[in-house]
Amino acid sequence: MAILEVKGLKKRFDSLEVLKGIDFSLEKGEALALIGVSGSGKTTLLRCLNFLEVPTEGQILVNGQVIFDASNPAMLSEKEIRHNRLHFGMVFQQFNLFPQYTALQNVTLAQELLEKDTAEYKQNKKAVMERIHERGAELLGTVGLSDKLDYYPHQLSGGPPQRVAIARALMLEPDILCFDEPTSALDPELTGEVLKVIRGLADRNTTMVIVTHEMKFARDVSDKVLFMDQGVVVESGSPQEVFENPKEERTRQFLERYFAE
Amino acid sequence: MISLSSIIASLNAGLLENLKLFFITLLLSAPLGLVITLGSMSKIKPLRALTRTFVWIIRGTPLMLQLFVVLYGPGLLFGMPMKSRFTAAVIAFVINYAAYFSEIYRGGIESIPKGQYEAGQVLGMTKVQIFFKVILLQVIKRITPSMGNEVITLTKDTSLARVIGIPEIIMSADRFTKKGLIGPLFATGLYFLAMNGALTILLGRLEKKMDYFKV
Ligand SMILES: Nc1ncnc2c1ncn2[C@@H]1O[C@H](COP(=O)(O)OP(=O)(O)O)[C@@H](O)[C@H]1O
Ligand SMILES: [Mg+2]
Repeated sequence: MAILEVKGLKKRFDSLEVLKGIDFSLEKGEALALIGVSGSGKTTLLRCLNFLEVPTEGQILVNGQVIFDASNPAMLSEKEIRHNRLHFGMVFQQFNLFPQYTALQNVTLAQELLEKDTAEYKQNKKAVMERIHERGAELLGTVGLSDKLDYYPHQLSGGPPQRVAIARALMLEPDILCFDEPTSALDPELTGEVLKVIRGLADRNTTMVIVTHEMKFARDVSDKVLFMDQGVVVESGSPQEVFENPKEERTRQFLERYFAE
Repeated sequence: MISLSSIIASLNAGLLENLKLFFITLLLSAPLGLVITLGSMSKIKPLRALTRTFVWIIRGTPLMLQLFVVLYGPGLLFGMPMKSRFTAAVIAFVINYAAYFSEIYRGGIESIPKGQYEAGQVLGMTKVQIFFKVILLQVIKRITPSMGNEVITLTKDTSLARVIGIPEIIMSADRFTKKGLIGPLFATGLYFLAMNGALTILLGRLEKKMDYFKV
């Protein structure tokens, strides 16, 4: 069974229909690369998955369970959304780290807040905090920042902030981790280290949806590629199919233009 | 012959009025300002328009005028004269400063990038958690310089209360000029400088405390 199913997802901003009925599914452990020209609706799709936008129509299923249905207003209560969005993690283009917290605190803050209400926390605050901090430090180790735990965001530059953001998203153990052009705000020489971290996650079978303009990376790392244009999925398939043997004219044009540059 | 001790006693009595007005105004207008901010940022359009108009009127008219209106308005308009001049001064000052503070708060809150809220949201935080754990300290850091300016202005503005008969420090000193003494007037200047010197140091410390991060 697919871990993620998106059915007939539409999103309209006033008169502008940005997503015009998106359908796709993703198996556990797969990485999905989402490609397309800027303005095609990729960010909006990720934002819908993370409930930062409310889709106008359609359904989102995780592990076969409907977690969003545009025709069911009961699913839009703040509490319901807060619970359901934890199926997803999000890594933003602009990192959005919290400036007043260290790298480690950025990673652990949300988990601490989530566990504050548990009985275990009330009984043994210290042990819970220790466990959370250990886990946070371990994750920062995974992204290669063991030596930067106590650095504040402004003391980190280049690739590290985005790697902290990745660790922060991993902390809550989302079923599906979303990346919105994770390297677009970075200087070209710094993209490599971030891509390497994502590649490492793919090797460990993290389920991911990755919006990216790095076509070579998309081809290497993904199990499945979705090409979007003007709010629709024009073509989808394995990286070999989409990159080497595109069926659609629009996909071919997009790739030609990309690789010509 | 006027004794030095009587001058000092008179100036201190005046200063006490300034200080009372200063602290009460600060204590009340800082939270009231937040309430006004909530109104001026509300999703309810009429409430927002009303609050912003109110702020515009308060900021667009002299504090001196507001002092007179608060003192005489209730009596002349509703037949319920203000019993205490000091209360009238407090009301006018609190409303005036709350309006200014509310705009500073609003500017501070609106200057926080949307991404900060969204990062909190996708991590499953509640709105309240996001505000208190993520946004608030950033806002405080951003508004500390402008709040500092307002607070320093407030120390000096308290002397305006003399127009409705509050015997504040400059009024006390002015009584001596009529007897040919300019010294007490200069002395009040020193009082203000001392007060604002202390405030400047305090604000500097506060800013330094928040130096460990950048917004
Ligand atoms: N909040 C919004 N309000 C109105 N239009 C929006 C909003 N967000 C995105 N759009 C529009 O939706 C379209 C798709 O945007 P986006 O999802 O950011 O595309 P992509 O990430 O593929 O570049 C663009 O035309 C954009 O202007
Ligand atoms: Mg985008």
